[in-house]
Amino acid sequence: MQELRFNPLTDEWIIVSTATQRRPVQPTEVECPICPGGVEFKDVKTYDIVSFENRYPSLRRDAPELDFKEKGPFRKERALGVCEVVVYTSDHDSSLPKMPLDQVAKLVKVWKDRTRELSNLDFVKYIFIFENRGKEVGASLPHPHGQIYAFPFVPKRIEAKIDAMRKWFERTGKCPICDVIENESWERTVYENESFLALVPFYARFPYEIHIYPKRHVSTLLELSEIEEKDLADSIKNITMRYDKLFEQEFPYMMMLFQAPFTRDEISHFFHFHLEFNPPKRDKDRLKWMASVETGTWTFINPVLPEEAAKRLREVKI
Amino acid sequence: MKVFGKGFTGGWIVQDLGNGKVEWNIDKVHMGWIVRGFVEGKPGRIEVFRMKTPHRVLAGGWQSWSPFRVFKTDGYEFSYQRSWMYKDTPRPELGNILSDYFFATDNLVVGFLSSKTAHGYFTLEGDEIVGWLDYFDAHFPNRIQIEPFVILEGKDTSVLLEIYASMVARESGARFSRRSPIGWCSWYHYFLDLKWEDILKNLELSKNFPIEVFQIDDAYELDIGDWLETKEGFPPVEEMANAISSHGLVAGIWTAPFSISETSRLFKEHPDWVVKENGNPKVAYRNWGRSIYALDLSNDEALEWLFETFKKLRDYGYRYFKIDFLFSGAIPGERKKNMTPVQAFRAGMRTIRNAVEDSFVLGCGSPLLPSIGYVDGMRIGEDTAPYWSKGKDDGRPSARYALRNTITRYFMHNKWWLNDPDCLLLRGKKTKLTSDQRELYAYTVGILDNMVLMSDDLELVDEDGKRILEETLRLRGGKPRVEGLMEPDEKYVVKSDGTLSGNTRIEVDLSKGKYEMTVEEYSYLKKEKVFKDGRIFNFYEEE
Ligand SMILES: [Zn+2]
Ligand SMILES: [Zn+2]
Repeated sequence: MQELRFNPLTDEWIIVSTATQRRPVQPTEVECPICPGGVEFKDVKTYDIVSFENRYPSLRRDAPELDFKEKGPFRKERALGVCEVVVYTSDHDSSLPKMPLDQVAKLVKVWKDRTRELSNLDFVKYIFIFENRGKEVGASLPHPHGQIYAFPFVPKRIEAKIDAMRKWFERTGKCPICDVIENESWERTVYENESFLALVPFYARFPYEIHIYPKRHVSTLLELSEIEEKDLADSIKNITMRYDKLFEQEFPYMMMLFQAPFTRDEISHFFHFHLEFNPPKRDKDRLKWMASVETGTWTFINPVLPEEAAKRLREVKI
Repeated sequence: MKVFGKGFTGGWIVQDLGNGKVEWNIDKVHMGWIVRGFVEGKPGRIEVFRMKTPHRVLAGGWQSWSPFRVFKTDGYEFSYQRSWMYKDTPRPELGNILSDYFFATDNLVVGFLSSKTAHGYFTLEGDEIVGWLDYFDAHFPNRIQIEPFVILEGKDTSVLLEIYASMVARESGARFSRRSPIGWCSWYHYFLDLKWEDILKNLELSKNFPIEVFQIDDAYELDIGDWLETKEGFPPVEEMANAISSHGLVAGIWTAPFSISETSRLFKEHPDWVVKENGNPKVAYRNWGRSIYALDLSNDEALEWLFETFKKLRDYGYRYFKIDFLFSGAIPGERKKNMTPVQAFRAGMRTIRNAVEDSFVLGCGSPLLPSIGYVDGMRIGEDTAPYWSKGKDDGRPSARYALRNTITRYFMHNKWWLNDPDCLLLRGKKTKLTSDQRELYAYTVGILDNMVLMSDDLELVDEDGKRILEETLRLRGGKPRVEGLMEPDEKYVVKSDGTLSGNTRIEVDLSKGKYEMTVEEYSYLKKEKVFKDGRIFNFYEEE
């Protein structure tokens, strides 16, 4: 069973995909499926970076047709889309902080190429690139990889971001991220290079949340120059290294890239491309749960002062 | 600024028009205001907007070939030729037409979001610009929506035009192919002298080029209106399609479906199917040394013929349709049914779309807003030519002004349709274009991410022409923006980030036919696609 269902209480789409239920969790003695020679790469001796369509995708190009009549508030749509796995390297024991900078820069190029290719599909409206790292956020494979969802709709939180950025632009005539960059001070900055600023934002929701903002106003990955691609890779590597050093452990996080949607609505003048790292940890051993308040109201209670988190992350020796 | 003769107020306002009634209200939208409302009765022409005239405006006529450029409003005069009176507007007799659908000035765009029933335009009245919605002679017993319009301000003109274009796309229901095919067209080398041997020769030569669509232009048909019959020297239309398809190419054909020559068999058999004036066939325009009438698209029999004609062409194997001189379908005049020329035009466009299904439809010589939702590609400038410029900037063929419109109407691309900048002429012989001018045209088209079509005797396209084509194709794929739209000096800067060659920028000077381009050095990863158990794997590595 695979379909989209509409929730009129929140004006959002839910993906129903029962196939994902059969996904294996935390394989133990099983051979890694995405290593060369693994289940996904049986006849492949080695590879550099690969993106491939998920074996049990929540959204698919050939989503089943629906035999359904709209009735009252009940609406369904086909679960059209693409779900890809991006394997960062053939080295099973590597990770973003451990990968050579060139490899991360190559990964940025792959993200860009996937964005270009997937955004050309008629049904695609939003492309979401992300990585879940660590079992704390449900990552079942230690082999370094991320994922891409090409959605047939603009997801709710993206809409919220667009609305907020538009509102700020209407009020001030400025894109909010450009405005933040202009007014940001060293006390929240974690790392900075020529083209990017990595910081614990003033408005961080998670204790060690980091955002990466391009200094130039661009709204998608596609617009980045080659130099900016390298600088993005450098910032990603730098902050994930800091994360791992902070508590001397492989720090779990959700890494998310926010690009403007691929619809015909013109929003590029106020939508500023950015990355969010949302780590679920509040200290070495304790988790910051997405519990009732966070899940039910979208209100976050951050137990760590963002300036304090920034200071710790900045002072980590890498 | 005034809306319906009043200042900006809140709430619904009802206005008596004598023969009808209009109700409207005004709302805030991103970067400005939107006016929506309803009309009923026999509204005729309604004033909807009025403002003090700025000293310069970016403006232009209603269809593909109308120049779109900066005009000084001081001393502005509208003029037209009798035999082509509807070329720039369906209301030439008013004499003071400034712009159709929308206009822009520094940090301001005012325009209608659709043209589904009425024609929207702007006139100069004394020192004021006045916006109108024209319902011609149609009457509406039940109320219908007016074409909404917006006033956008507070950002530079290019950004506002992009925002305007996205609002139009949404309101007008834009729907078009995301795939932009590379095509060959017979017109700009062979014109009306095209012979069947030329087609066969170029079909063979097309193997040396990345051509996907091979389109036969004007020349093959028996007469304007008799599309399914070919003139002497050409095989039947079905065989023409087979010849193209057998070379592995998509078969494309030119027609002027809303035009009927006075000499055609169609007119002789159905003299009643044309738009009339005082009961007699009305001349829409003169061309091919003949008077051309307009198909009455309110007539169900005429629509049925239109459907059958395009259905047959599709059955014969054509999948790419260049439909030309479309404005004739929307000229004012007497039609069988009570409807506006815009409604009739859209009935014609809908009929063609239904008949050709998912084939690629390229509009040309076409009213802009009413075509949205029916065409995949659209010509947005005058015809190009194998010379840079010759004579006035009034819509006559020239590479210079065709490219100018391609630049000034850039914001329509990928929002309303794929912009067709007209063909690249890449041959080194039988042309007056210099190598610089060929590059300037092609590279600008590439950076603007427009359609790439060629029109040459392919035998005359040498290595230099092939190089230009290759480079042009690699300049596409970005998100272009034009700077300098409001300057009258024909100098523009086109920037595009994320092209297949990386971030690029071209500065053009059309009056001199010169350009300067900077292209980022961008390196690509090698990509190999593998299909495994129904899934796609992409293997990337360094070259
Ligand atoms: Zn592995
Ligand atoms: Zn910005």
